Parts: sequence; C-alpha cells; structure tokens
Amino acid sequence: MSSPRLGHPHLGLGVGLRSRHYAHILREEPAVDWFEIISENYMDSQGRPRYVLDQIAERYPIVMHGVSLSIGSADSLNWDYLDRLKKLAVGVNARWVSDHLCWTGIAGKNTHDLLPVPLTEETLSHVADRVRIVQDILERPLVLENPSSYVTFACSTMPEWEFLSRLCEQTDCGLLLDVNNVYVSAYNHDFDPEEYIDSVPHDRIVQVHLAGHTNMGTHCIDTHDGRVIDPVWALYQRLHQHTSGVSTLLEWDANIPEFPIVHAEVLKAKQYTEALPTASKTSFAGESDASGREEAAQTVLPHPAVMVAAEVE
Amino acid sequence: MADSPNMKTLQSWMHAVISHPDGVAAGLGSDSAQSSLSVDSNQLESVVCRSQACTSLERLAVYNNAYFARLMDCLEVEFPALRQAVGEEAFGAFAIGYLQSYPSQSYTLNDLGRRFPDYLAKTRPPRDGDSSLPDWADFLTDLTRLERLYSEVFDGPGEERIPKLSHAELSAISPEAWPDHVLETAPSLRLIELQFPVHEYISAVRKGESLAPPGASSTWLVVNRREYVVRRRTVGRVQFELLRRLVDGEMLGDAIMAVVPLAESEVEDLAQELERWFAVWTREGFFIGIRPAPSKSFSSEA
Ligand SMILES: [Fe+2]
Repeated sequence: MSSPRLGHPHLGLGVGLRSRHYAHILREEPAVDWFEIISENYMDSQGRPRYVLDQIAERYPIVMHGVSLSIGSADSLNWDYLDRLKKLAVGVNARWVSDHLCWTGIAGKNTHDLLPVPLTEETLSHVADRVRIVQDILERPLVLENPSSYVTFACSTMPEWEFLSRLCEQTDCGLLLDVNNVYVSAYNHDFDPEEYIDSVPHDRIVQVHLAGHTNMGTHCIDTHDGRVIDPVWALYQRLHQHTSGVSTLLEWDANIPEFPIVHAEVLKAKQYTEALPTASKTSFAGESDASGREEAAQTVLPHPAVMVAAEVE
Repeated sequence: MADSPNMKTLQSWMHAVISHPDGVAAGLGSDSAQSSLSVDSNQLESVVCRSQACTSLERLAVYNNAYFARLMDCLEVEFPALRQAVGEEAFGAFAIGYLQSYPSQSYTLNDLGRRFPDYLAKTRPPRDGDSSLPDWADFLTDLTRLERLYSEVFDGPGEERIPKLSHAELSAISPEAWPDHVLETAPSLRLIELQFPVHEYISAVRKGESLAPPGASSTWLVVNRREYVVRRRTVGRVQFELLRRLVDGEMLGDAIMAVVPLAESEVEDLAQELERWFAVWTREGFFIGIRPAPSKSFSSEA
C-alpha cells in the first residue's frame, strides 16, 4: 500500500448521528465535517430515520458503520443483509463502510453484542475469506474496527494488532482504529496500548473512533456515555504522529447530551493534532472513574445498542 | 483440554454461557454449554484467560451481564407504556422470558419486539373463574400490540411522497358509478381493535404524564403516518368495519351494504354520516387513489 487511508479522503472531525439530534442538525446545520451512521438503523427504514438521513446526506459526507456483519462468526454470511447494506451505501453515497472484527451470534441467533474472536491462524483465514467475499459484494474495501473486549482466549496465538495487520495485508481491507477500544482492551488484558498504537499498519487506517468509557477498577467497560479521558487523547495524539491525519469520529451512545456538547468534544482533537503538545505517557495509574462523572450509569453497559424510538403524535 | 476448540464449538459454547438468564456460572454448567465444551469453572482458564485483576469467570460475566440488559433496554425503548404499567421488575421478567423464547434472529433491533405481543398473549395467566371480561393481562397485551404497531408504522412504508386522494376527487365521481369503485388505502394505514383505550395511556406515558390504567372499553383505532409521525384516531365500530372492508379491497357499494345491518342500531342517518366520514378520512390522508373495479363481465383479462 502506498497511498494512506486506502486512498480515502481525510474528512476531518465527525460525530455519530443519533436520532436525539435529528431536529437540531436539520434546523441548525452545525458546522460538523461529517457524520457516521449505524447502518442497521437505516437500511430498512421507510420512515423518518431514512428521510432525515437523506437530507443530512445532501449536506454532509456520510460514513456507514455496521454492528451486525458478524465477520468472525462460524455462521454463514447473510446475503440479504449484504444486499441491503450495499443499497444503502449507494443510496447515501457512503464514503466507506465499516463494521467490527467480531462475531455477534451463532446458529442464527444475534446477541447484538460485539464478541471477540480467538486470535488464531484458523480465525485469520476464516475472517480473511469472508472479508474478500464481502468486498466483492460491496464492490469496495471493507473497513474493520478493533472492538473493546473483556475476555481473551487461551488458544490465541498473536496480539490483536498483528491479527489486524495480517488481515489488512491479505485482503486489502482498511482499519477503523478505535483508540478508546485500544485503551479499554489494554486495561482489561494487561497489554501496552502504546505498543498497539505503534504497531498497527498506519497507512491502512481509514478512520479513528473516540469515545468515553467507564472504569470499574478491575476492568473498563466501553460505555460510550461520556467524555474522552486524557490517556485516550494521549493515545490519539501518539497515533496522529504516525499518520498523516485521519478522519476522526466521536461516539456517544448513552446519556447523550445536547448536540453542541458532543460536537465540542470531538473538536478537542484539534488540540492534539494541530499544536502537537508533547504527549503525556499513557498510564493506567491514577485513573479512577473514567471521566469524573458523579453518578454511575444505572447499568454499566458495554457497546450500548443504538435504537430509534417511534415518534407518535 | 488437549486441543483448542474449533471456532464453531467455541462460539456455541460462549453463546450458551453468556446468554444464560441465571448468570455466567449457571451458563457454564448448562447442558447447552457443556455439550459444546465440557469445562467447569476450575478448567475455565484453559479456554478463557484470566487477567491480573479478574478471573476468567468474572471476565465472561461482563458479557453475560450485558446480554439481557442491552436487549431489555431496547424493549424499553419500544414498549415504554408496558414498562410503566407493570413496573421495572415485572417488565424485566417479561422481557427475559420473551428473549429466551424468541432470541433475536435478525440483524436489526427493529425486529426485536415483533413477537412480544404474541408472547404475552400466549403466556398470560388463566382468567379469573369463568369470567370472560377483559382483565389486566388483556390490558397489557393490548398495550404491547399498539406500541408494536406504532413502531411498524413509524419506520414502515408511508405515503409522504405520494399524492393523497382529495375529497374533491372523490366527490367528482358520479353517484351511479361510486358503488363500483375501489379505494386504494395509504400504505401506512393500519386498523386495530382493542379491548381497552390503551392509546390514551400510551400517549400519557410518552408525554411523561401519569395516568391510571383505563378500564375496559371496546376501542377501534385507525393508525397512520403523516409527515413521518405516527397518528391515531378513534372511530366507531361501523366506521372501523367499513374501513376494514375498504382496506381489503372491497367495492365501495359492497362494503357499505355490508355495514348497513350494523349501522342500523348504531348510526342514525348512515347516508349523512358516510358523507361526513369520507370528508374526514380524505382529509386525514387515508386514501391514495380510487379506480373502477374490474368489470365483472369483462373480468377474463389477466
Ligand atoms: Fe468504536
């Protein structure tokens, strides 16, 4: 690979589109660089979600982010799903299409969670085969994200960054590097997040995710319910030094505040990319409650599901 | 364990462990988990590593704790009035029972609640004595049916970009030709018959107001969508029956004739009422077209 980001543009600083912000975005047309959508919330919509999305897609670049591809499952791929995914990608002129390195279910059941795969040669060849099929169907490179995880498997034979590097090499897919997930998984699995950031193939990174998480003391949970903590910003800055700038997006999925607060959070990224202050060393020491939030979330829920509630007069 | 489990075995096992309603330890010991991988908690580290701070079981528990909680959150978004009516604990019990009977098999969470009304109807407690009166369980089933219907109408097919049939267009058809015409109803239009006026209760919950659960009272609702927002309108039994026949594609004349016996006891002047109803229905956007029914004598064309 010679061109960075698989040749994709650097879209700037974006925000995950959530239904709570529909009215604000349509009314105020905020100066956001781009939006990322949860693909499954729109691929079948014949109502307001799709109507709003079409209007937003006229004004902003759209990137699609899925949660149900289940690229790592032993189940066969869902052709109907892929067909709808492709139609949506064409319909909203998606700049790229991403999902996660995970499995979501087995035997036809969907947990709607992002479950980790064992990092083995068997998994690598299984996932690589499926990525090729998906790319053939979508007629574009697939972009895969490193998920937050809470277990590792005894049978794994390589670190996640190596698995992803080899997957990219074998399939020409892209990476969505979630810096918060690197932090969360590093905390949970006792690995060095900086080594991970330094080792992933930087020219394959099409996009970066930022989010808040909840530190439970013994482990971290990827709750997407708050601000990005300083050690994650430090990792982001470290990553920026390896890339020539990458489209960056903030995910906020629980206790979602007003749009300007979410937008302001992602704009902080400029402090870490433009001025390049010396990055502080990422350390887990001293981090207690992730963002100093007073009230603990009622349920500390990893990867909260994004749903659109019906609007009834 | 000697060999590493293959991917399918490992995933079947992990799925059984993390989706067990009684927690991760119960999941580990369950038949479905054991039939995939025969490991007990002492051998668990041969499959799932521990971390410095957590045991393998504690780590797996993160997924088990999240499984029902995440899906229950989604059901709460879709069924806020049911949640309000029964309280958090009973709602949780309903949701867990439902998710065990009907685990999600879809890529989309929009399908998650599809069978919830059926599940509640099927698992309802027996009626008190020989009473056939609508009871609390019927109320909950009605609530759930209507909340589900709202979701389907909200994100399903709609007529926002289709011209609606106006009252003027309808009136332009001569009285003689009228009976042999068929109305095309709008794609979002849905009819639902209920034993309780749950629409008022649902609206109150959605507005954050408190309202005592209503008593039983036969309720006929027309639900549709306008400008991407779901609307509902109560109608009388005669209107409901007439609309039902029109949705089914009956000719206007046949549909009206069929409700005459019903109307005799309930409507004073049917002709006058019909005029008023169609004025309201066209204004509400219930129809998108009208056409002559295929002529009976020339109906051999395909
Ligand atoms: Fe992410």
